[in-house]
Amino acid sequence: MTQDEALVLARAAVASAQRAGARDAEATLHVTRRFHAEARDRTISKLEQSTGRSLHLRIFDDGRRVAVTTSDLTAEGIDRVAREAVAQAAFIAQDRYAALPDACGRFAGELDLYDRALAERNDAEKVDDVLALERLIRAADPRIVNSSGSNYADTLSIVALANSLGFADAYTSTRASRSSSPVAEDGGVKRTAHYGTAARRLRELEPNDVVAALAARRTVEMFGARKPATMRVPVIFERDVAAAVLSDLFSAISASNVAVGNSFLADRIGERIGSEQLTIVDDGTLAGRLGSSPFDGEGVPTRRTSVFEAGVLRTFLYDSYYARKLGAQTTGNSTGGGIGANNFYLEAGPHALEELIASTARGVLVLDTIGFATEHATGTYSRGARGFMIEDGALAYPIDEFTVAGHFGEMLAAVDAVGNDLRFDGSIVSPSFRVAEMTISGN
Amino acid sequence: MLDTESLNRLLARALRRGGDYADIFCERRRSYAFRLQEGAIHDGSTVVTQGVGIRVVIGESAGYAYSDDLSLDALLQAADAASLIARGTPSGERRSIDLTEMRAPALYDQLRTEHAPAAQYVALLERADVAARAYDTRIAAVNAHVTDELQDVWIATSDGRYAHDHRPMITLGVQAVASAKRERASGYVGDGGRTSIAYFAEHTPEELARDAARIAAINVDARPAPAGEMEMVVGAGGGGVLLHEAVGHGLESDFNRRGTSLYAGRVGERVASELVTIYDDGNLPEERGSITVDDEGVPGAHKVLVEKGVLRGYMQDTLNARLMGVESTGSGRRQSFRFMPQPRMCNTYMPNGDASVEEIIASTKRGIYAKSFSGGQVEISKGDFVFMIAEGYLIENGAITAPVKNATIVGNGPDAMTKVTAVANDSRLARRHYTCGKGGQHVPVGVGMPTVKISSITVGGTQE
Repeated sequence: MTQDEALVLARAAVASAQRAGARDAEATLHVTRRFHAEARDRTISKLEQSTGRSLHLRIFDDGRRVAVTTSDLTAEGIDRVAREAVAQAAFIAQDRYAALPDACGRFAGELDLYDRALAERNDAEKVDDVLALERLIRAADPRIVNSSGSNYADTLSIVALANSLGFADAYTSTRASRSSSPVAEDGGVKRTAHYGTAARRLRELEPNDVVAALAARRTVEMFGARKPATMRVPVIFERDVAAAVLSDLFSAISASNVAVGNSFLADRIGERIGSEQLTIVDDGTLAGRLGSSPFDGEGVPTRRTSVFEAGVLRTFLYDSYYARKLGAQTTGNSTGGGIGANNFYLEAGPHALEELIASTARGVLVLDTIGFATEHATGTYSRGARGFMIEDGALAYPIDEFTVAGHFGEMLAAVDAVGNDLRFDGSIVSPSFRVAEMTISGN
Repeated sequence: MLDTESLNRLLARALRRGGDYADIFCERRRSYAFRLQEGAIHDGSTVVTQGVGIRVVIGESAGYAYSDDLSLDALLQAADAASLIARGTPSGERRSIDLTEMRAPALYDQLRTEHAPAAQYVALLERADVAARAYDTRIAAVNAHVTDELQDVWIATSDGRYAHDHRPMITLGVQAVASAKRERASGYVGDGGRTSIAYFAEHTPEELARDAARIAAINVDARPAPAGEMEMVVGAGGGGVLLHEAVGHGLESDFNRRGTSLYAGRVGERVASELVTIYDDGNLPEERGSITVDDEGVPGAHKVLVEKGVLRGYMQDTLNARLMGVESTGSGRRQSFRFMPQPRMCNTYMPNGDASVEEIIASTKRGIYAKSFSGGQVEISKGDFVFMIAEGYLIENGAITAPVKNATIVGNGPDAMTKVTAVANDSRLARRHYTCGKGGQHVPVGVGMPTVKISSITVGGTQE
């Protein structure tokens, strides 16, 4: 399906909803061609390729809203869900803020979301690519004797959005990713780790040798890990873990959580929450980045929004519904029903990760966390973790089976150094940073 | 969804480059939902998931393609894409496959084909809202949702299996947020299962809402959790998340066939305290994880995973079972037609032991009572896990004392299982709202457990 055909179908879905009796409607068609190959040892263990289509139809009837997602794109299928959505809307409470956006449009600049070399890459080359990655991780260290697989995947995506205000626009983007999960064995103990990376353009994708070296190092460096003592020390979050922290923070600055009292940052606009080192931005207009797009999930042009400026909370992130409800302007963060990140990132600081470590007399470097908790309501942070003990400004020994915990507000205020290792390999990204003091719970 | 002739043609096409096995998974699913927020019905939604997935297996390798376009041309193209995993030259030869329907006793209502009138779902949410707010003046917000889903799957395989399952699933969830001074805390409770809205006549929305409000109110008063090693008592029912993470995932056959799980090659060995017995069961009536047949057309089964501390077996799907020379245990499950099946848990639980809850609490000097968990995660090679406690209390000198909030516990699966020092006689299944994620696929599961004591665990709070 071409971009133009997708737009025709999106427009037809809007018309179907209006025929069914909806006053306003918005239809977004996602067409995604996906290729995925997984290699284990010398063979391709999985080969998946499909083109999937999904229609997301939202109807608005005097402030009553219903959303439908369907993979049945026949005319009868669309007519049927449209009629059912209108019937369902009768049971929704009227909400004067629920409506299409006040203004739709597209970011004017060139976003460079499509890479022809990637879109046209042939399958044989992709298969060779992932087999090469799997060979590299197995050759990287004699202790790497197995793997949960090395992966190469790419997608070609069309997004076409039309609504009853007359807006109709579409864009096409590409994305490639590679990842590997080696398994190492030493003295009867198995260790695994994972490293993955992604980019919009093939030539910007981190090469196999870099991915293999990082995945291998992360796997073998944990041998001999001990459980640390319970203590309060400085904690450095390495960039991938730092990005996970930012992802938790994103929930607290999403207007959808703020509006229903599910954020510890509600009512704190204008307050200094973080340290001066903390400038956090959401920007959907960065050329070639994974979180960029010309318009958001309801057809509002994307933009750049400073969320924290030198530690001061400037704004939450809104779609048009929550913006109306909270008396603000949309920031172009709609996902077509919820609020999502564009490129949400902590601005890089001046220090290499090695410098952050060297300037820490005694502390912990966190390389991976497990667990999740939706405590953006209370601001509590607690995760299972693994990493290294830092002594006298150097990595002393690996540690695991501990937790790192603190209060989000206090953590942000205590960020005392930010790294220079920011990479845009996702839509929520961060450089490494250090928090002056947190609780490590172990023995 | 497709006739025998089309299924036969697609299987033949999928195998025309070679391959040991092929299967076709057809799915049609409709889910119907309402959400309540700020005392009003905030929005509604419908999701229609319809399509066909085709898989070709050759040795350890699998090719997969799906299509949401149900025309025969589009499906033949998908079969071609799946066949690329086999390198053979396409042959014109038609294999004919006699499909025999698998029949298994129904575990849930196979006849309901429509959702209830909308007003009935809306009423559940409104009743939950009123009850949660009435529970405690500090309840500042109530969010509730109800989702009713009907899934039909049809499976046809090149070894002649044909199966159909009709699976209902209803879920009512209530989140209450309590607020006092600057403190906020929330409680979440969900229930339902492979049943219908009639379930909530007995398991009322008021009961769920009051429980969510109770947890929120307890947590808003709770003190921050302690940090460090201590004894742990895991509560009956919801504590079963511990089995699911600490042991269950490590016994899924893909990790064991590939040798990436720490339990690989250890059937018959002692892997836990002799007090530990763990079952996984796909056959419990109306539980979330139950399946008349799995997503490969194999009937769900009762599996003994660990018996008195000894590892008895893994959970198998067809691909891994064939490579390991055993039979599938009916554990092949998938999120939708867009995914290949994986070996997964159904309903994982521990049967009764012979201790009493009172003696377990009384024997605990300094510990944490984890009444329920909000979630967990495990790393399957070494077995390190983490759990988030939803409702927890301190145990001091043999008595439950103050509530603690936001506690995470960390440990190592096999280590924790050898430290099980008491199992009570109060085993039960948890309320039905758990969903398990693996390899990017989410499937509904059930968990259950009696009250269990673990002699030492690390609690990840902030207080000394």
